[in-house]
Amino acid sequence: MQALKFDDIALPPEAEALRGEVRAFIERAMPQDTLPDSDFNQGHDPAFSKALAEQGWIGMTWPTRYGGGGRTFFERYVVTEELLAAGAPVSAHWIADRQSGPLLLRYGTEAQRERFVPAIARGECFFSIGMSEPDSGSDLASVRTRAERRGEGYVVNGTKVWTTDAQRNHFIIALVRTSQTSENRHAGLSQLIIDLKGPGVTVRPIRNLAGDEDFNEVVFENCFVGADMLVGSEGNGWEQVTSELGYERSGPERFLSAFRVLVEFVRAVGPDPDDHVAAVVGRLVSHLMTLRAMSISVAGMLQQGQNPALEAALVKALGNDFEKSVPEILRVAAPHLEEGSRFRATLAQTLLHAPSFTLRGGTREILRGVIARGLGLR
Amino acid sequence: MSETQLMLDTAERIFADHCDKALLDAAETGAFPRELWKVIAESGLPLLATPEIGGSLTDAFRLLRVAGRHAVPVPLAEALIANHLMGLGNCAPRASTVTLGIADSYSGEGAEVSVSLSSVPWARSVDQVCYVIGDPVEIILLDVADCDVTPGANIAGEARDRVSFLGVPDRCGSSETITVETVFELMALSRCALMSGALERCLELSCDYAMERKQFGRELAKFQAIQHQLAVMACEVAAAGRATDAAIGCLGESRFVAMVASAKSRVGEAAGVVAEIAHQVHGAMGYTHEHRLHHFTRRLLAWRDEYGRETYWQQRLGRDAIAGGADATWAFIVGR
Repeated sequence: MQALKFDDIALPPEAEALRGEVRAFIERAMPQDTLPDSDFNQGHDPAFSKALAEQGWIGMTWPTRYGGGGRTFFERYVVTEELLAAGAPVSAHWIADRQSGPLLLRYGTEAQRERFVPAIARGECFFSIGMSEPDSGSDLASVRTRAERRGEGYVVNGTKVWTTDAQRNHFIIALVRTSQTSENRHAGLSQLIIDLKGPGVTVRPIRNLAGDEDFNEVVFENCFVGADMLVGSEGNGWEQVTSELGYERSGPERFLSAFRVLVEFVRAVGPDPDDHVAAVVGRLVSHLMTLRAMSISVAGMLQQGQNPALEAALVKALGNDFEKSVPEILRVAAPHLEEGSRFRATLAQTLLHAPSFTLRGGTREILRGVIARGLGLR
Repeated sequence: MSETQLMLDTAERIFADHCDKALLDAAETGAFPRELWKVIAESGLPLLATPEIGGSLTDAFRLLRVAGRHAVPVPLAEALIANHLMGLGNCAPRASTVTLGIADSYSGEGAEVSVSLSSVPWARSVDQVCYVIGDPVEIILLDVADCDVTPGANIAGEARDRVSFLGVPDRCGSSETITVETVFELMALSRCALMSGALERCLELSCDYAMERKQFGRELAKFQAIQHQLAVMACEVAAAGRATDAAIGCLGESRFVAMVASAKSRVGEAAGVVAEIAHQVHGAMGYTHEHRLHHFTRRLLAWRDEYGRETYWQQRLGRDAIAGGADATWAFIVGR
């Protein structure tokens, strides 16, 4: 059994020093015409992302020579949690900042780094994740999108699906099969950067149950991709996609998605609610404080250059179940749902998005499998 | 190796050597484990958080986590905090054994007082009972010989006695750095630390059992249904440990009360979930008295109720979180 390691780490003073600045920025830059939503997938606002980049808050941990901020994971942590807690529209740059940039910095060619990373940090270049396919959800290794070598590049055929913001973003990093399936299912996979607006790519929005068009189907038909858009080495795709899980799974976006519902609940119940209502708030706050402490521990491990994939899976499993429970708990705890109140509107919005919380980025069941492996059970 | 780690390793060894099933069973029928208590006292562990030893409260809580892993059936948490309080009050050092209680009724004029304390661990078997009272607090020591002690037990069979005293108590010292409330909070944190240790042990026992026990021709651990249950358990154990550490890390800070409230509530919740899954995974084997699992699960169920159950701390935490208004909820959570 691998020991579960959550070091007792608190945010250092230089990270805390940023908090006031971030709050002041949010106060200034937050759009006033939409309901704040703490879900990182909600609110695609290039102007907001651009303004955030001007503060130096995209690509914060990246080297300065690629336009990054050269700052710590703790500083990035403060910025991201403040944005989510306020319900700021962060969806446009979120994926590029969280994982595409780090992926390119780690595995990309020098030319790719120079072309994409500074543009991401300027808030001008947005990425989507190209992993899931119609027949490959949790079973990611079964992807069938093919990239066949031709001349100076690849010809890509296949379909990606549930691709958030593909209709709005610039690029997708697609996990594709560059050689036929062998005994080792994880072999023969590669990652390609593909221009979402380029020839051979068709993006069709898919309406979700909330009536929104956040995710898409992305179809590649004889789409030519230059060899210079291969990320890392051919056949190394599986290692590459799994290497970033520590970043992808442990952040505050994994437990704060429903946070605005709690804020509006507190507004709705007023300053002196009954004991039961106070206890409901206290319980959710205790979960949030604990998840936050766990998530900061993982940020500390990332800062030390460790690969906390197991701890990240734990934070995500616990965090997703928690954030999903928040609207359910507050719904029944609310004495009445006043027509037209902010609480009612936020609750409705979050309830409709909640099914995705335990699906995206690794389902609850996949995460439990990862944890069981860490425990030595499989 | 750090001094703290050395101390924790020593403690781990002592507890592992002594706290076997027979000792736990005997303690739960009321037999105080004198030999173990003597070894612990000689090791100096109960004095860990006194100024003379130079140790800290932080180390004391870390020690309690190790004690929780072994269900150590002596009033170690009480002795640690009582000795800490006596240190704060500049009380003369004593060679006696001590436990601690919270005064739940108190009256008195002049020197003579009438006081009663409920659920005092092992009052019947130690020399003295410590409690605090007043503002600024006075640290009081009662000689058990002068008290009326009614033996009792919690649902884990741990000695929890009722202590009544009428007379002139020994006011051994006073302190302006703490309050009666602080002692309650420290004791709540002691239960978090003990529970964190017991939770880790339940996870280990359950994983080991799942890998040993075969049904339908394969180990229980090979069944996905079991794997997922144990994964849920691991999440709860990790959350409890982290919540406890975070509170320990805030000792002496203004945020301490909120962190203890959060920890006691969160760990108490984890205790219920983990005890349930541990028994489900162990099947009927774990339901027998012969199996050692219940020494840990029953303690979890008992400790979550001591020094404020989840609802009590949730209400306090909730009221504090609400006090600043909706738009300050987040600032409350991050403490800034």
